[in-house]
Amino acid sequence: MEIYLALGIFAVAFALIAFEVFDKSLIALFGALLMVILGVLSPEEAIAAIEFETILLLLGMMILVNIASKSGIFEWLNVKIAAFTKGNPLFIFLFFSILTAILSAFLDNVTTVILIVPLTIQLVRGMGKDPKPYIMAEIFFSNIGGALTLIGDPPNIIIGGATGFSFLDFIINLWIPILAVAIFTMLVFVILYWKHIKPISDDLIELFTANIVIKKIKHEFVKKTIHRDFVIKVIAVLALTIIGFLVQHQLGLPNYVIAFTAAIVLALMTAKRHNIHESFSSVEWTTLFFFAGLFIMVAGVETTGILESLSEYVAHSTTDIFFMALIVLWVSGLVSMILDNIPFVTVMIPVIMGIQAELGGSDVTILWWALSLGACLGGNGTIVGASANVISVDIAKKKGVNITFIEYMKFSLPITLGIFVICSVYLFIKIN
Amino acid sequence: MEEKIKHFSQLFRELEAEIGTQDLADLLLQALVVSIKAFKADDKSSFCDQFNDLVKIISNTEPRFGILIYCFFKLRKEFQNGYFQKLPEKKWKRVILKRVKEILKEFRQEIKKLVENSDEIDVDGKTILIHDNSRTVRNVLAHYKKMGKKFKVVIAEQDYDKTHNNIERMHKLGVPFQVIPSYMLSHIHDNIDMVFFGGLTLKDTMNFVMNPGTHGIISEFLVEGTPVYMFINTTKFSLWKARKKVDVFMHKHKRAHHTKEIQYERVKYSHDRVPHTMFEKIITNRGVFTPDELKKFFDKMMKKYSYDEVKEG
Repeated sequence: MEIYLALGIFAVAFALIAFEVFDKSLIALFGALLMVILGVLSPEEAIAAIEFETILLLLGMMILVNIASKSGIFEWLNVKIAAFTKGNPLFIFLFFSILTAILSAFLDNVTTVILIVPLTIQLVRGMGKDPKPYIMAEIFFSNIGGALTLIGDPPNIIIGGATGFSFLDFIINLWIPILAVAIFTMLVFVILYWKHIKPISDDLIELFTANIVIKKIKHEFVKKTIHRDFVIKVIAVLALTIIGFLVQHQLGLPNYVIAFTAAIVLALMTAKRHNIHESFSSVEWTTLFFFAGLFIMVAGVETTGILESLSEYVAHSTTDIFFMALIVLWVSGLVSMILDNIPFVTVMIPVIMGIQAELGGSDVTILWWALSLGACLGGNGTIVGASANVISVDIAKKKGVNITFIEYMKFSLPITLGIFVICSVYLFIKIN
Repeated sequence: MEEKIKHFSQLFRELEAEIGTQDLADLLLQALVVSIKAFKADDKSSFCDQFNDLVKIISNTEPRFGILIYCFFKLRKEFQNGYFQKLPEKKWKRVILKRVKEILKEFRQEIKKLVENSDEIDVDGKTILIHDNSRTVRNVLAHYKKMGKKFKVVIAEQDYDKTHNNIERMHKLGVPFQVIPSYMLSHIHDNIDMVFFGGLTLKDTMNFVMNPGTHGIISEFLVEGTPVYMFINTTKFSLWKARKKVDVFMHKHKRAHHTKEIQYERVKYSHDRVPHTMFEKIITNRGVFTPDELKKFFDKMMKKYSYDEVKEG
């Protein structure tokens, strides 16, 4: 009976999350509560199921990023890059895409697009051009950049929390496919949208328009009060945090301790300039509660043994690790195109753990990288594939740029499938 | 071309509302410097053709900005003269850049001259009313402060951003100031010794185009006999026949009552037009004028400068 209850609760919750009937955090929490109330899990088991390391890492990073963004450093970076492009559309396209990827690797993707997309629209539309290709590229690069690091995208945070992979492990194992995917995506965008982004260095009027807009943006930025000491402290703490993640093993500290220390130290250092209440209230509590609820629901499903059976089935159906990795990559990628990748990855964690246990001595770490690549990059496939996509499209719509589901998908789907092919080739090379 | 004119018009209007005409011209000349540096056309004739198109666009925006037309016509005239045409291909870009930078410098110098000419007004111990978002007026007040003059400022409150620009500058200068809503000025008529305004342009109809709300305030103080001064750079003058079409834009938008379900249409106007005779004196970079003197000066300038592209209409 409990088996059916657990599966039923999870299936209904998954469907409700997919169709966004209620806020996903409410659905996850209610599902988790039902698991406890209906006796699938004891209250103690439910509490133990929550991976607090993952939640604390997210919490620490949210506070850190919030304080850092208040300093104006990211706007400063945006304005500097806009000025550096001197109005060249190709440079605007390249630099803002690269900036999105880099920022997404260290900040969460939603924060990144909130910082970059409005400026891009202002800049590109001010130049009299269509901002759609630029926004779509930024969506892609936010997901690509996010896939590179442990803290870049929630699926990676979950994988890191479950496996103990360090910040450096992610970079070492993923930089090659991410770089290849980034180059491929960039090339496709440049070829398809050449008309929109080709250099304008032989057109004085277009150059002049672009440079007026850049001057306007600079002027608006100058009006804002930026405190130098605040910016310096933010840069110092962010740099130390990244170094801390990189030398995590030597420090002997888990990721969440590093993130949390950075957040609190920065909050203390900038207490005069910034109100900590604002940072605490800006934490996306719904996301954190969503994670907590999800961990409990998945633990409930685990008690049914179905995930174990699935692991056994996969492990016994083939001994070819590459084939398994391909299945993980493509299934997670295709699922992440339509559904929230977080619940999917949370379910896949025990499955891959199970496969690892079934195969005993075999090294199945490649499966984790396949899961990370599929879940993070699959989000590019559709407008609803990742939070950053939804937010970017919303921002654009509010500013009068309407990107429709089909319009995005016509373009995104083939590129995303191309990305999966590149990742498949990488997995093949890595295994052999 | 029509599309470009429309696009530039919108861009200029947004910028003018935000930073004023003087800074708009400064910003545009700076943008031109960067654009010329980045321009990679093969020869100077290609540049001149494109610059001509740019001048056509600038002289046909809605509204037309006299100050921009002045600067860009001046540059075009230079690029058309024999000396420039004879320049070797390798040198032309450097010469153009040098000339644009010089014009930018001259332009800034004209602003300085205007500020210096404001010395003619005695502000010691006086209370000055300001209202519009005029960088020129703020620069003049800064100049007085630097000269050690003791005066007070009353800021007539209007749009949030514009009022705040005035507040920020007065605070930065350390000038004692008060803020009062524009519709309550009748209570302080006796306390105000003089009123300072800046303008966007002066039309051939001898109307100044000014920030919205200024006409009412000027009329109010004119009735009271308080002197009202205008501070404007002559490069801002619209030296062409005014078109029948209005230079004042009306913005209609729907608004909702904040508590009740009532929708209504709200109308806003972009500028006011104020006759030059309503000012005691007009302080410019070319001297201080009475309204009559200004009319004569304007007519002389109209004859001297020939803006072919903006004559019709």
